[in-house]
Amino acid sequence: MQYLFDPDNWEWLWTGNNFKFLLEGFAVNLEIAAIAMVLSFAFGLVLALLRISTARLISLPVGIWVDVWRNLPLVFIILYLALAIPSSWREAYGNAIPDFFPDALQDELVLGALLGLVLYNSAVLCEIMRSGIQSLDRGQREAAASLGLTYIQQMRFVVLPQGLRRMVPATVSQLITLNKDTTLVSIIAIQELVRHGNTVAATGFGVEVTAPILQVFIVVGLLFIAVNLALSRLSRRLEIRERKRTGTTLKTVRGLEDQVALESDTIVR
Amino acid sequence: MSELWGVLEEHLPEFSSGLWVTFRLVAASLLIAIVVGTLVAAMRVAPAKWLNRLGGVYVETFRNIPLLVLLIIMFAGIRRGGLLIDPWVAAIASLGLYTAAYIAEALRSGVFAVGKGQIDAALSLGLTYPRTMRRIVLPQAFRTVIPALSSLVIAMIKNSAIVGASLVALPDLLKQARQVQADTFQTGEVFFWAAVGYLLLTVTATIAFRYLEQTYAIKR
Repeated sequence: MQYLFDPDNWEWLWTGNNFKFLLEGFAVNLEIAAIAMVLSFAFGLVLALLRISTARLISLPVGIWVDVWRNLPLVFIILYLALAIPSSWREAYGNAIPDFFPDALQDELVLGALLGLVLYNSAVLCEIMRSGIQSLDRGQREAAASLGLTYIQQMRFVVLPQGLRRMVPATVSQLITLNKDTTLVSIIAIQELVRHGNTVAATGFGVEVTAPILQVFIVVGLLFIAVNLALSRLSRRLEIRERKRTGTTLKTVRGLEDQVALESDTIVR
Repeated sequence: MSELWGVLEEHLPEFSSGLWVTFRLVAASLLIAIVVGTLVAAMRVAPAKWLNRLGGVYVETFRNIPLLVLLIIMFAGIRRGGLLIDPWVAAIASLGLYTAAYIAEALRSGVFAVGKGQIDAALSLGLTYPRTMRRIVLPQAFRTVIPALSSLVIAMIKNSAIVGASLVALPDLLKQARQVQADTFQTGEVFFWAAVGYLLLTVTATIAFRYLEQTYAIKR
């Protein structure tokens, strides 16, 4: 305890560029999380629509694909891709990524990390969206069909707006999990917050104070806690307002790490 | 195809010992998670406000911190602080305390589902609060949240891979697979069998929980 609160062990935080360096690392995490989330959402929506298809020839293979990816550990997927992606793909990524993207994402290694995060999270989001869509009363779609809407119009104007709205809490909880999971890309040597934390702890940046790894990573943890708490508070507020406005009910999904937490929050309120 | 079987045949000891380490890690952490999770859940629904707060802080802390960061704090951080913590202890404590936050939240929702009437009835019969919890509320709460616990155990099996990939480096299934891959360079084959190992664990857990659910669950 004395070691933990000893001011000498905290001096690194306001010396030199240490804290700024940590924040720069955190920015990389948030960028990777944002890009992975957008891609997973788009890809997951496609998967969900294919999975609810009535043609078994489509829904069965998609179902297997989704179940395999979401039942494998994410670290496992990322490590495998880091070893298995052909270098030509990586070069193609390096050439294809636009210059206005942040420097950290220009690294060719980022391809494996993004691909792993998207494969895993799109499978999870597919399950979330599928259960949202299937929880709707089938009369909704039948009514839309009898009004003469095409399949695409039924989805676009009737099914998806209602189905996806029910899934907002589950999606946000997955976003928080995704944000935490971006630390895993440090394992394949991408320079983000965990790597920056190790650097700070190892060198202290040429200043004479030492930065003990315990204190450095407590700060790292606090950064994550702050952002994730803000995210969940914000979404809860939006969601309660939205629910009052539209009167939609909530739907839960099985197999989500953070689902139960949101479930209990809604019970209390 | 023959290469696929060849890798398994030749390196079966590594794979099976890795699977066994992963299994023990998950089992021990689950035990810790259930014990701590139950205590935190009891705190969160206790009549005392300060206990609620304390439980809330625990849950929000461990739910929002990445497991990898927690492992670094628990292992490298504490070692640097002068206490030579055993890798197993650090790994089990991290995974257990991390999952405990989720279990606490699940149980809390289960406790609310039990209903205030039963708690009031038990208290008015002269049972103390801890006793009411232990005899009346928690047994029912556990049975209500079996589906949620099932999700959490599967998430835990997946999270256990982070231990082998981090600096704690217990020889779990992922660590062993990486070792075999580094020796043989048969990336696809090695990772295929490791994936089979993980799916074996998650599928077994799913089946076990389905049985528990059919036998004990209270449907609400």
